[in-house]
Amino acid sequence: MDAIGQGPQLSWYLALSAILFTIGVVGVIIKRNVIAMFMCIELMLNAVNLTFVAFSSFFRDVTGQLFVFIVMTVAAAEAAVGLGIIIAIFRNRETLDVDDASVLKL
Amino acid sequence: MLITFFFILFAGLAIGCAVALVAQRNPLYSAISLIGVFLSLSSLYLMLSAPFIAAVQVIVYAGAIMVLVVFVIMLLNVTAERRRRQRLAFLAPLAALLAAILIGEVIFILNAVSVNPPVVSSEVGLTTSIGVGLFTKYLLPFEITSILLLMALVGAMTLARRTPILAAVGRLSADASSDMPEAEVKE
Repeated sequence: MDAIGQGPQLSWYLALSAILFTIGVVGVIIKRNVIAMFMCIELMLNAVNLTFVAFSSFFRDVTGQLFVFIVMTVAAAEAAVGLGIIIAIFRNRETLDVDDASVLKL
Repeated sequence: MLITFFFILFAGLAIGCAVALVAQRNPLYSAISLIGVFLSLSSLYLMLSAPFIAAVQVIVYAGAIMVLVVFVIMLLNVTAERRRRQRLAFLAPLAALLAAILIGEVIFILNAVSVNPPVVSSEVGLTTSIGVGLFTKYLLPFEITSILLLMALVGAMTLARRTPILAAVGRLSADASSDMPEAEVKE
């Protein structure tokens, strides 16, 4: 195949990103630990970032990379607030299993 | 040819680490796998000629966010996930179904749409062009992002503190009002 000789194509990056996003979705659904679910969400954010950067560099438009910058900031904010919530859950219930925290009231 | 080899290497590393992240029961090992994903994605960004994003990926994700996650795992002394019956038994088939749908969509799109523009080296991923874009055309989103960070800062402190914030404020104002008569007595 001469497609391989030309180096990685845009579609390869998109396929990789989709695979990573799918792994993240599956992880959020099947994991029971709050921190593990949180990390799967980070994985999904990163998969989308890869799409942005791939489009940005193949179409030579810097906008995609600016979006990645903003997504990273949102991820940092999400990490701070999310981990605060996780600490609050652990303090109230002594567990991080989502099945034990299925109702909001104690 | 070399760049194809590196793409396959880092893409394989990213997928392998992502699978390990989901398969691990110990959250600490999951965190280390996630750092592997971040580092291999950073290498892919370098191959896409986006050096600024690659550096920020390592600094912000692998540096700041993962340090926070590992710190919380250590602080809470999280043990490995116990193997037990799930409360919602339909979740595993649902996950398989969703994964099948997503992968099917991707295969359909990659077959139906062929976007393969030529790779040309350009000035786009450099720090200069990102800075110019960020401070001219996209200044408003940039400022909104800083407000978001401020809100996250306040929110995280409010959520993680032991006493409710309103009670603490009430105590503070009570202290302030009890100080006032004392000052009058001295006079």
